[in-house]
Order: sequence, then structure tokens, then C-alpha cells
Amino acid sequence: MSESTNPLDPEMLESVQAFVQQSVERGRRGLEIANAPPHPVGLTPKEVLYTRGTLRLYHYEAQTDEVYRVPVLLVMATTNKAFIFDLAPGQSMVEYMVQQGFDVYVLDWEAPTYAERGLTLADYTQDFIPTCVRKVQEDSGVEDVSIIGYCMGGVLSLIYAATHADGPLKNLVCLTTPVDNSKMGLTQVWNDPRYFDVDYLVDTLGILPAESVTQMFEMQRPAQRLAGQLRLWDQMLDDDFVDNYRAFNRWGEETLPLAGEYLRETTKELSWGNKLYTGELVVDGKEARLSSIEVPLLSVVAEHDHLAPRETTLPLLELVGSEDKEEILLKGGHVSLIAGPNAVKRMWPRLNDWLAVRSV
Amino acid sequence: MADERKDNPGASFSELVTQWERNFDAFANQVMGTEAYSQAMNEMQKTQLGYQRAFSEMMAQQLAAMNIPSREDFVQLMDMLRQMDRRLEKIEEKVLLNDKPASKRKRPARTKQPQVNKDEGKSEGKSEGEKK
Repeated sequence: MSESTNPLDPEMLESVQAFVQQSVERGRRGLEIANAPPHPVGLTPKEVLYTRGTLRLYHYEAQTDEVYRVPVLLVMATTNKAFIFDLAPGQSMVEYMVQQGFDVYVLDWEAPTYAERGLTLADYTQDFIPTCVRKVQEDSGVEDVSIIGYCMGGVLSLIYAATHADGPLKNLVCLTTPVDNSKMGLTQVWNDPRYFDVDYLVDTLGILPAESVTQMFEMQRPAQRLAGQLRLWDQMLDDDFVDNYRAFNRWGEETLPLAGEYLRETTKELSWGNKLYTGELVVDGKEARLSSIEVPLLSVVAEHDHLAPRETTLPLLELVGSEDKEEILLKGGHVSLIAGPNAVKRMWPRLNDWLAVRSV
Repeated sequence: MADERKDNPGASFSELVTQWERNFDAFANQVMGTEAYSQAMNEMQKTQLGYQRAFSEMMAQQLAAMNIPSREDFVQLMDMLRQMDRRLEKIEEKVLLNDKPASKRKRPARTKQPQVNKDEGKSEGKSEGEKK
């Protein structure tokens, strides 16, 4: 038997002791976290400007003596809370933009009630967004408004822009916004019209429960949750890591249910018909052709985005009628593009560079 | 790299987890990306929904028999309230349109100009005040 396997070897005893101590400490922290209240998010000072049903419109307090002339409206996807834009001090896109001198408004969503199961694309793009744009105009006293849409919020913003070509839109930024749904990968396979009976689903449930929406996201990366928990255990003594984990985890756990009619319409029109891409989409009697969009447009996409793969976002620049248009491809995934420590270094400064010169 | 792992055993654990996650996801995506999986998943979902629908219908009948309002009845009431709320809101907007109090919040001037970094052609977002 070699010396190193001697159970009384002081070095080995020391490392075993350290391992046990760390494990006990990790366990203690784990219990603390499990019993802690939800991690605080959305801390940048704001006021609620307008609410109606599922809709919330926030205005963030200026933190500079001067702001750019054109206010910015951030539009969140209907499946998630907008606090991903304002995750934590120092890691908040909203805080960053406010500190850069933008006048920031955010369109957020609450869970739609069963009574709101009938909400459609028309409600979101011809009522909610135009109403918020009008509220921003009234509040800021400025006619022009820039919009930044994230994921499906970007799709809604595109439909709004396409159907309001004469409207007050000054600039449009689409963050990880899928346009060509035929390239959606797994979701396209699961939504196969031969097997997926969306009418039966919507007619039975009315509202797609939040758990089903979460499941749909998680099924695309089935190992992600367990891997995340293993990483948390490993990094349990790193306060920054734990805070980040808890903030992102809270965002994932507060996924919103989806209005049934909206799901039915997006499945049939966008997923099966791919009509935003083909230019055949009609919303509330208005043609939503992307070629009608002529305002300056920025598309920001992530290299490793599994929810809106690169192929789905790629055609946007070709389809819009804008002369001033640009795509920025950055490292990262669907969420890490807009929030977290990497977004601070990668995306936000690029967004600021593009938007600032177009906001005067 | 080897030294780093020796100093920090956590680094190799993290790499191990990342590798496992990558491999598992790739395998799972291969299986779940097939037509057969889609068919099975959707059939299972439809069966569950069928049970749910049958139970809901039975429950609605029971409630009606006991003269107790069902979820649908409450939803109809909520819809009516929501419509009334919306109409009130429109009236309120019209009434307040001509009688809007000036905002008490201090508003910064909308005069900020982006500072263009000539070397890179990028803006740095400095205000006129900050430039001075």
C-alpha cells in the first residue's frame, strides 16, 4: 500500500476536512436560499404610467440632467415578465439606458386572466402597443417614439410597425426576433399541424398554463435545469453567482400563461402559415408586410440562441423596407444577450452606440 | 490548464457539468426532434385534454344541478365588468383631456447629444453639459 492511501496521511485528512466543511457550508447556504423570499428584481426607480388588464406601462426616472429627445419604449414578449430588462443594479439594461440618457418606458405583462383568453394579435398590436405609444407621446410631450422589442415582443413590434407605417415610430430595435418560422427547429417539429391540435387545446383550456409554457422552453434544453442546480451547488459560496442564479431563476419561474386565442393565431398564422415571412399576414384587416417598415432598424441576434435560432432571425434585414438597417451578431444565448454580466460588456454598449445618434 | 484544475477542483467539476449538459441536450434533441416523438407527445397531450374536458363538463353539470354558478358564469361576469371598466376609462380619458394637471415631476431637458468617437465612429452618449 502506498503512503498516499494511508488514512492517517495529514494532507488527505486536511483535504477531507476541508471538503466536509465546504459541504456543510453549502448545505447551510442552500437551506438559507430555499427559505429566502424571492430575489429582489426590477429595482430601478419607476412609476406605473398605465394599466389595463394584462398590460402594464412603466416609466423610469431619469438619472441624468439631460435626456435624448426621443423616448424609448421596450416591448416584452407576452410569455415573460419584463424585469429581465431590470434584473439587478449593475446588471440592468434599463438602468444602463437611463444612465446613458435615454427616457425609458417599458411595456410589461401580467398573467392574462381567463376572461382575457380571447386576446388576439390584433389586441396586442393594434390596441395595446398603439395605446402605450400614445401614452408615451403624452407623457414625454414628444411625437417620435423608438421601440425595442425582445423575442415575441419584437414580433409584435414588427407587426405594429408594419401596420402603422405612417405612425410616430422613429427607430425599431429587434432583439432576438424570429421572422422565418419554418426554421424554428424543435418547436416547428412539435407544432406539426398533422399532430398538434391547437383548436382542441385552446377550446379545452382557454389559457395555456404557465407550466406548459415553461415546459415548452425547457424541453429544448432538458438538461439545463439540473445542470444549473449542480452549478449552483458548486458555486454556492460565491455570492455573485448565487444572486445571479436566483434572479434568473425567478424570471424563469415567473413565466406567464398565454391567452388561448393568441396561441391559436400565432400557431396558425406565424408558425404554420409563416405569414410574417411570406408577407401574407393580415391583422385586424391590415396587411402586415415587413417591406412597409421604413424606419431605421437594428436587429440584434445571439450566436447560440436556441429559442430564436439565427436562421429564423436572418431574413429580417432583407424583408424590411428600411434603408438604414443593421444586424449585430453577438456571442451568447437568448437571455444572456440582454441580461447578465455578459450583456453589460457585449450588447448594451452596441445598442447605445446605434440608438443614441438616432434619438436626437 | 492542468495546474488550474489542480488548484481549483471546482473548475473541472464545472467543465464536467457543461460537457454532460451539452451531450445530454444533443442526444435529447435528436430524439425529440423526430416526427415519431412529435406524434406521441401530441397524442398524449390530447388524451390528457380529453380527460380534463370530460371532467370539466361533468363538473359544470353538477354545479348547474345544485344551482351554483360555474367558472363560466364568473368569467362572463368578469367580462362584463371589464367592458364597463374599459368604457369608464374612455370616458375618464375624454373628461381629463381638457383638464389635465401639469406633471409635478421634474423633467430633464431633452437636449442630450451623442458624442461621436471619431476613432471608431461610435457614440458615447455624453451630454453637452458633460462635454464641458
